Amino acid sequence: MNIRDNQALRERLAAEYVLGTLKGGARRRFEGWLQRDAALRRVVDEWQGRLVPMAEFSAPATPPPSVWAGIEQRLRLAPAPEDDAAGVPGWAAWLARLSDSLAFWRGLSLASGAVAAILAVTVALRLPTVPVAVVDQVATLLDDQSQAALVVTADTAKRALAVRVLSDTPVADDKTLQLWAITKAGKPRSLGILPDNRRAALALTSDAIGEDVALLAVSLEPKGGSPDPNGPTGPVLYKGTWVKVM
Amino acid sequence: MPDDPQSTPYSDPLRLGALLLATAGRDAHAFRVLYDATSAKLFGYALRILRKRELAEEALQEGFVAIWHHAAGYNGHLAAPMTWMATVVRNKALDILRRGGAAIDGDAVPYDGDFMDAMQEVSDHPGGSASPADPADQLQLSSDARALARCMARLEGLHRQAVGLAFFHDLSHSEVARQLALPVGTVKTWIRRSLDKLKTCLARGGPE
Repeated sequence: MNIRDNQALRERLAAEYVLGTLKGGARRRFEGWLQRDAALRRVVDEWQGRLVPMAEFSAPATPPPSVWAGIEQRLRLAPAPEDDAAGVPGWAAWLARLSDSLAFWRGLSLASGAVAAILAVTVALRLPTVPVAVVDQVATLLDDQSQAALVVTADTAKRALAVRVLSDTPVADDKTLQLWAITKAGKPRSLGILPDNRRAALALTSDAIGEDVALLAVSLEPKGGSPDPNGPTGPVLYKGTWVKVM
Repeated sequence: MPDDPQSTPYSDPLRLGALLLATAGRDAHAFRVLYDATSAKLFGYALRILRKRELAEEALQEGFVAIWHHAAGYNGHLAAPMTWMATVVRNKALDILRRGGAAIDGDAVPYDGDFMDAMQEVSDHPGGSASPADPADQLQLSSDARALARCMARLEGLHRQAVGLAFFHDLSHSEVARQLALPVGTVKTWIRRSLDKLKTCLARGGPE
């Protein structure tokens, strides 16, 4: 049976799959379709979003301590990790690892303010075990679909600016991504280029995080960067604002 | 942000999202805070599905092990944190339920619609929703669950019961029909219509 063109049937089967009334052979067949049909998976996700909150109608019950003990043992969770051997505070390390988790970041297609708020909350949670503030400002640059495409972090203590591209959008060999700070007066300042178009470690100056900076932007430029020192020559691909997290 | 991270209820999606993010980064401390914030709710849910404490404990443990492993795959765009975590625990609980087969007595599923009946009462008496007796407040429901509760309260009692039986006890149409002593065709139609109504109602943001 082909259900691709039958939208009403797809909705109904997805709903009954999530509810649980789709059983036996019909359920297995549906799971087979799910594996090959991303749009159908999305319909299922939507139905999970609608129906699974029913779970919260249950009265809470405190589980015995043995449950956490079992989880801790199975996952070999070290008690309260301190700074790792490299001297990098744990959360800065996870931020770095997390930036590699492309799907995750792209999924967080919230306004950059909300993303930064999430980071701020997490940073605050980790404060007791982090002796030195490292990243103090974060900007999530969004593409024109409002998807997180690039993350910029600023470490004022080390005067370092780190840029990571999250999107998979390929950049032609003869092109370069260039990062700009746009001032409130609308004047662009180049902060540097991304040599491999994936990531860059740049020097942090007041050009990048000064009070007059309104916006960060990434433009697509000829290899080596914009020939015009006063601003981008190519299209602006991503934009975002700084949010202080410390 | 509160001084005590454990003082915020589990229903704050931004905070749970932050904890899931940190869990994805292998932050064991954040994972523990996440467990403390959500385990009672998720255990209550697992208990409702499995009805035996030792099985619910197993589902909860399996669920949190999976949450640790798959936190990086959580997509904030697709699901609220609590919905995602409840889905993980639900899948573990249903695995256990199906594995157990006859171990769970499916012949006598208790009717556990007290919450929904209370919700209906509130929705039938507008103005009462702000009172401290609001069942949604008592259960500290997330906004998604509140919207669903309001929409479900608008379904007819037996229709709602059919949906709830199927969801919480993994029953088929014919099993729901047996529980309610009704023809299976009737139950099928009710469930289908109820799902349509819920979709429409939730898309509107709640009952008018």
